[in-house]
Amino acid sequence: MSLAFDLETALATARACVGSKLSPLPKDGVDLVETGALDSMAWVDTLIGIESATDIRDFGNPWPENRPKSIRTLADMIREAQKPCPDEKPWVGARQQDDSARDTAVGGWGYALGSLVVDAEQIDRNLALPMHKIRDGAGIHSVCLASDTEDELALGQRAAEIALEMTEIPVDQIDFLVTTSATFLGFPSFAASLHSRLLLRDTTAALDVGGACAGLIYSLAVAKSLLRTRPQGVALVVAAEVHSRRFDAPQVPGEFRGLFGDGACAFVLTNAATDAQIGCVRLQEFVWGCSGTFASSLGVKISENAGLNVQFKGEQLAYAAITELERIIATLENLSARPRSEVDYFALHQPNPRVVEVLTEKAKIPLERIPLVSKACGNLGSVTCGASLCQALTSFRMGGSQLRKPLIFMAAVAPGLLWGGVFLN
Amino acid sequence: MRELILSDITEMGSGLCVIGIEAATENLFRSVRPIPPQGFAWDRAFPHKRGSEVRFTSRPTSVCPPHTEDQNTDGLEASGTCPSEVELVNMLQRAEVSTELEGLFGCELHVDTKGGNAWVDSSQASSSICGCLYRNLRFLVFQDPNRITLRARLVLVSGETLNSLPVVDREWRRFMDEVMERLTRSGGHFDLDRYLNRFIRNKLLQALHGFARIGLARPDNGHKCWLMLDSLFPQPDVSWLDVL
Repeated sequence: MSLAFDLETALATARACVGSKLSPLPKDGVDLVETGALDSMAWVDTLIGIESATDIRDFGNPWPENRPKSIRTLADMIREAQKPCPDEKPWVGARQQDDSARDTAVGGWGYALGSLVVDAEQIDRNLALPMHKIRDGAGIHSVCLASDTEDELALGQRAAEIALEMTEIPVDQIDFLVTTSATFLGFPSFAASLHSRLLLRDTTAALDVGGACAGLIYSLAVAKSLLRTRPQGVALVVAAEVHSRRFDAPQVPGEFRGLFGDGACAFVLTNAATDAQIGCVRLQEFVWGCSGTFASSLGVKISENAGLNVQFKGEQLAYAAITELERIIATLENLSARPRSEVDYFALHQPNPRVVEVLTEKAKIPLERIPLVSKACGNLGSVTCGASLCQALTSFRMGGSQLRKPLIFMAAVAPGLLWGGVFLN
Repeated sequence: MRELILSDITEMGSGLCVIGIEAATENLFRSVRPIPPQGFAWDRAFPHKRGSEVRFTSRPTSVCPPHTEDQNTDGLEASGTCPSEVELVNMLQRAEVSTELEGLFGCELHVDTKGGNAWVDSSQASSSICGCLYRNLRFLVFQDPNRITLRARLVLVSGETLNSLPVVDREWRRFMDEVMERLTRSGGHFDLDRYLNRFIRNKLLQALHGFARIGLARPDNGHKCWLMLDSLFPQPDVSWLDVL
């Protein structure tokens, strides 16, 4: 948010930025370029310095004709830039301060998968599993794994660019980057690294959110909250997981490792203009919690020798996931005041397709309303429900009426047993 | 006589600065900056192009660090066939390269203004040209009534970023001149930022031989050597103008 500048403050800012290039400082009225005090490179750097100091985007660009390139003009232009712009872009149009103006719209979305597709039989062979364990047991036909050149950053970048392309919002308009990744370990964190990779502006916040498979839902909730602090703000939410590298260890059981794929998804969120974006789906209410009763069904820890310890009770975990996911769906029905029969899509976490099938029977929801990402890609961790949401949104956009917004329930569970859900409409 | 393959032709004031690479060992190359018989800059009518093979006779040179690649000459003569752009990048990857900022010139980089260009202390840098792969890039255009300035932001393999690098690559400058001419002719009816940061940027990021050469300007009075984008591969293709 730009600060309000009086003339003295504006002059001080202009002098400080010019002073970092030039000593002693010339008088305020001197044309810095005309007199040769600054060359064109230093002049551009001065404009960038003022842009950073004031958060006035594109400061002095283009430079108006017939105005001297002086400290005084710089100060005047800082002050002029504070005046409200009557011709704002449509997506940052004037907001009303009622509740509807605080809706968070999903303006763009995209996902990217690991480029190596490995079929179920090959997974069985690679991990020395009984034949057909992955296809018949888990219902997975193939998994998408990252190639040597792909990692969380590369996949996250790809997904983010697809989402941004859809919205046509330039990266320098992003105010918040909220990320989640359970497989990206170390510092700089995933958010910081992705911030650099995407060349976001210096004043864009970057936050990492935990939650493993539920991390995307938690990230969306955090982004929605942050957007309330900036009415014209834009948030980019990215989840990325490269399980294949993290689980590539002898201690990790093959029947666990074989379920996972690699990928990323991204969503561009804005504060929705009330009626400006017909068909633009909005994030509504969230639910979340943690059910410790099932906490022991899955545990992943870094051991003292930097190895990975996995505690995995498959049947207990499947039971816990199904029970919890059904509970979330019931809660979302209450929150939305819409029965599950009216839901267009369920964008769910999918430990594996077999678990999803059991869930559909138990929860009495049609399987075709769940974009089944895990069948062809494997369990993508936090990305699973995100990729599923992307497919739902795309499917609706391609075939659905633009006059009606789809109703989507999103739900995920994670080790702990952490859970979260949201409905979109 | 020594032989060079010209790798960088950059605009420097009213003239051009030229760098080439010569074989250092069987598989490695090193950069050499041939200096014309008079002054530092070559005439704008420089007859050779990037990738041209040239030969020259070395003249005694008093090197002023960090521009240790300087080499006085009596002029350059064309001597052979040109490698393709991909082959040239392949050779440049076997010359001075770094994956991280500190490795570019063997010293720490400094920035005066947040988001501004970086500089190195002329007494600390050990060289003045280095290549790097980039993972992302974006263009910034500054428009003056009289001219436009193209700058670039790059992300290196290390994840470190270089902000606001002045693009001095002759081919990119010429390309931008043509873009601006078409923009003027169209009455400003296309979105320059969209063209550069979507269309052109996608071409660069999709190319398999994306590579940049970062150079240092001569030190200013404060002993600061500012970074510049000497070469950006792929080089601009005239067919990219067709969409305008």
